[in-house]
Amino acid sequence: MLKKAKQERLIWLDIMLTLLTLELMAYFYYGLRALVLGGACVAVSAAAEFISLRLMHRRFSADDLTCTSDALIIALMLPTVIDYKIAAIGCVFAVVVAKNIFGGRLNMIFSPAAAAYVFMLTSWRNQVLQFTQPHVHTGVLEKATGLVTSASHSFNLTGEMDATDFELLMGNFSGPAGAVSILLLAVAALILILRGDISGGAFIGTVTGTVILSYLVPMSGRIADSVKYPLVTNMVLFAAVYIVSDKRIAPRRHYYAFFYGLFIAMTSYIIVLTTAKENAIVIVALLFTPIALAFKNLEKRIDDLDAQAEAERALKEEQSAEEPAQESSPEDTDEEQIPEADSEEPPLEEEPELSEDQEEEEVTGDEE
Amino acid sequence: MKNKNQSVFDGLLADNTVLSSCMVISPVIICGDTLRNAEALAMAFTAITLLSVLLCSFIPKRLPYAVKIIIYAVISSLIYIPVRMAAQEFFPGIITRIGIYFPLLAVNSLIVVQTEAKFFRMKRLKMIPALLFYVAGFDAVILITAFIRELLAYGTINNRMVDADTLISGLGQPFGGFIFLGLLCGAYRAVRSLFPAEQSTGRE
Repeated sequence: MLKKAKQERLIWLDIMLTLLTLELMAYFYYGLRALVLGGACVAVSAAAEFISLRLMHRRFSADDLTCTSDALIIALMLPTVIDYKIAAIGCVFAVVVAKNIFGGRLNMIFSPAAAAYVFMLTSWRNQVLQFTQPHVHTGVLEKATGLVTSASHSFNLTGEMDATDFELLMGNFSGPAGAVSILLLAVAALILILRGDISGGAFIGTVTGTVILSYLVPMSGRIADSVKYPLVTNMVLFAAVYIVSDKRIAPRRHYYAFFYGLFIAMTSYIIVLTTAKENAIVIVALLFTPIALAFKNLEKRIDDLDAQAEAERALKEEQSAEEPAQESSPEDTDEEQIPEADSEEPPLEEEPELSEDQEEEEVTGDEE
Repeated sequence: MKNKNQSVFDGLLADNTVLSSCMVISPVIICGDTLRNAEALAMAFTAITLLSVLLCSFIPKRLPYAVKIIIYAVISSLIYIPVRMAAQEFFPGIITRIGIYFPLLAVNSLIVVQTEAKFFRMKRLKMIPALLFYVAGFDAVILITAFIRELLAYGTINNRMVDADTLISGLGQPFGGFIFLGLLCGAYRAVRSLFPAEQSTGRE
């Protein structure tokens, strides 16, 4: 249990480090406001976690600080110029409604960040989907002007993007502060997979699903573009790392996790293709939580059956080890070991009788 | 005597139709997003349920259960017709917005289930006030829910604008209604558990 808690904290630490790196990149592009938004989300989440746990008569422990990683994910999915109140309501929703009401940290059903994002998307669509251009720094308390739609939005509508490959890698195009830094996200994914912090199967499944469908059903004129752009737009890579591959939600075995990621990616690609819905992968990841739960139940049943089969095998081995000993003992007593048995076990006469009974039982059993 | 009084008032709080028994929740969730909807629903629910249960209480008890339920449904459907006509007079346009949830009130759980399970086991003189409080409990919940949801989701109270800074339009949608009602049920149970009498009855 202690090892598990330690592992959980290490995972949280690793994820926080990668998120902080993305937050730094956001600071570079959007200024101090990105950091303030991240800090506000973390503070509100921690406060909401503390208060809701107290209301549920539970203790607030260091492990409960994992809510801060969800808060940073939320902050990085939003435009930096968003109203702080909206971000705060989103964080409270993530902690209270999406997490603690369903049993808290140990019984996660939804990704809290995904649930909060979808809630904010349905409630404040315009604020959530309008961004400033990169390098436009808005003051901490200033109201943003000159807002634009994201590059994902124009890609979904036209199938084209203005940014060069270098700009795409560096995240120099309009979109959510953390979800556009593709190079950093790729590095973060690699580190987190290698350290076992996220589900590698789910991540590979998501990327594979997107690549396969974007090759088979291209959104752009050129195949290379139609494979490249769907991966970097609509928060696909960001969601693949921090939402779909979240170990708390994704199936444990890589095989099942792969298909879980694959289904999410394919469904979200089809939705983007047919409806041009922005960031559909987050919505689909949230809707696919029953599939993750079904996979987890399947894994549990398989584990139980394995354990049962193992126990039965061990029992049979024990029985088969005992049977020759029992079968050999009457013969021994008849022929050779009479003196020893005589010396050690006084009821010598009973043993042959018992063995006869056993033989009779065996015979009747065979006949039956 | 005290217990008898409590059982009459149960429908209002202790055994609230929506918050405690989680019955008739679909109109509250789907249509209870504005006060006008809630008023129309509350009016229809009150009229249909009160009249239906009162009339149904005269049906002979020795009839088979299945037959009685069919008769209850027929009676409440007949009562629904004038209620709808009245609602169209008082709330023009609202009934169309409410849609299928308005006619569904004619076969709500209070008529179909609770009549046999609860009301018809009481004497008629006791049943009438108990029924009134059950209906009042539902009306109170739908009106309170609609008031809060309308204020937070649309920034209005009974279609009048108020100076609300940040609106949470998700609360006006069915999923927001589910979440809000869930939170309300949780708060209701938490408040109930504060009272020692409720705790002891809960344990029993």
